[in-house]
Amino acid sequence: MLDNIPPKPGDKFFRPRRIKRFHLRRVLGIPAVFSAGYGNVGSSIYYALGIVAVVAMGATPIALGVAGILFVFTALTYAEGTATIPEAGGSASFARHAFGDTAGFIAGWALMLSYIVTISISAYTIPPYLGYFWEPFKTSPVIGTFTSVGIVFFLMSVNVIGIRETSFINVTATIVDILTQISLVVIGFITLFNPSVLFHRIIDTWPTPENLVIGIALATIAYTGIETMSQMAEETKKPEKSVPRALLAMIVAVLVIFAGISLISLSAMTPEELATVWNRDPIAGIAFHLPIETIKIVLRPLIAVLAGTILLIATNAGLIGISRLAFSQGTHKLVPPALSRVHRRFKTPYVSIILFSVIAMVILLPGFSGQSIFEDMGVLYAIGSLLAFMFAHASVIMLRIKRPDMPRPFKVGWNIHIKGRELPITAFIGLISSGGIWILLLFTEPYSRWVGLGWMVGGLFIYLIYRWSRLKKSVDEWEIKPEKK
Amino acid sequence: MFKQILVPVAGTPADAETIRMACRLAKKDKGKVWAVSVVAIKRALPLDAEIESEIKKAEEILNKVETVAEEEACEIETDVLQAREVGPAVVDEAVERGVSLILMGISYKQHFGQFNLGSVVPYVLKNSPCPVILYQQSIISK
Repeated sequence: MLDNIPPKPGDKFFRPRRIKRFHLRRVLGIPAVFSAGYGNVGSSIYYALGIVAVVAMGATPIALGVAGILFVFTALTYAEGTATIPEAGGSASFARHAFGDTAGFIAGWALMLSYIVTISISAYTIPPYLGYFWEPFKTSPVIGTFTSVGIVFFLMSVNVIGIRETSFINVTATIVDILTQISLVVIGFITLFNPSVLFHRIIDTWPTPENLVIGIALATIAYTGIETMSQMAEETKKPEKSVPRALLAMIVAVLVIFAGISLISLSAMTPEELATVWNRDPIAGIAFHLPIETIKIVLRPLIAVLAGTILLIATNAGLIGISRLAFSQGTHKLVPPALSRVHRRFKTPYVSIILFSVIAMVILLPGFSGQSIFEDMGVLYAIGSLLAFMFAHASVIMLRIKRPDMPRPFKVGWNIHIKGRELPITAFIGLISSGGIWILLLFTEPYSRWVGLGWMVGGLFIYLIYRWSRLKKSVDEWEIKPEKK
Repeated sequence: MFKQILVPVAGTPADAETIRMACRLAKKDKGKVWAVSVVAIKRALPLDAEIESEIKKAEEILNKVETVAEEEACEIETDVLQAREVGPAVVDEAVERGVSLILMGISYKQHFGQFNLGSVVPYVLKNSPCPVILYQQSIISK
């Protein structure tokens, strides 16, 4: 009977929430969050070392070390941000709360770029590791790139259908990964480490100041996991405590293992060899140079399989991360609703999965011609992630100014007092250094400048059109149109 | 003995009888029944993603359950949960609410020609903090 009543204009605006009971069940603890984060960070060492060596040469350990200090500041900022705002969205959420929707969109869009490049770069480095089993994977650009594109396509299909992936798999893979990396560091220090050789190699191939800074920027690629951990806040038990603890645990693990592996790599081979022969599979290079044959026989295939698996998980994590982020942005009306459209049967955000996978595949395409896209992808990644990091630092500072009384279960120390406000020094240092490196990359790297800025400008264009159309629509909705006769 | 009973419901034919049984057990001790319907969210979506069709389905299941509880004159509270996996969500809910019993209804299912319990029931049986009663509908009546 109610169906017979014609709708009145006012009806459109009164929509009481239909869903009366709706709770989220958070089940992840510190180990699961740590393993998700380390799964990403730990995977990045499999390619970050080589990508940094391409430009930083002998100063690779120094570049990784300086980026490591930046990573500590960034991790502290994320720890406070996530503890204060435990939502999916990471830096995009912080920016939205601190500066409003437009900043939230820009940070989210920059993050999407990083996720896309993470997908491409992780997929791009799987074939060289598998080259242990069949050499053309490493030596042939066509076979290698075809495999990488195939991997992204496979994961796209699997994610559209929606797989069941338990955190048990992630935790197990992370434990095996950490154990292998620790074994490699220990064995490497015993059999390969030679301080005088290392010192000479660093000094003899010291890069230009410009290359050193680009190397530091590229080294930030090693620290992608911060964002992943922050994104998991929404499904973590007591996120205000668990996420900062997991982040602090990861800082220690990452710095120790990365320092060890970078020092051993330059003890094992010259920077030139690391930057050319083993740039896409540096860990395989370390295993190749181990002097003890028995250990080599065991470790080389183990690293090939493990790196392949971990990088596959990282590629998938990138795909899952971007689809969740796009959905979250869509929920806050920051991107067109098509990106958060859920498949009727599979219940997955198929539009965003397909769209972003296709973009990741397009980024890989120049690899078919044997063109070196590795460094370009690295810088492109850094452009996106540094922008997101800048927003994270700025947002934490702004929230301290705008909303000083907000509950902060984790609060960064080392504060300065300005006009009665406590402001974190580490966030300022992080903001200035990330901003400086970001500007330098834009000036020195043409590929990343145009692709990165093109991505951001294109995104802003879509955002403005979408917001304008929504604004126009909402104005139209208030108008009482004459009835049709 | 069982003052607080948790009943996970999934829209199977066994739901109504399971709730009826839970109500009768609870009434003996002037207890309370909690019925939960868990919506499993794929990992490609944020946990708070509102998939209307799924939530609507869960609410319909709970509405039916409330009707059965009313017939039994039993105090019942219902809830929709969103989680990545159903088993851990049920166990976690039991821990959080401090229930004294989990009562689960199952239907006779076959997988490759063999009787199969699925993944949720074994997980709950293995990890539950309290006693668990499984109720299976008669195969003949089905």
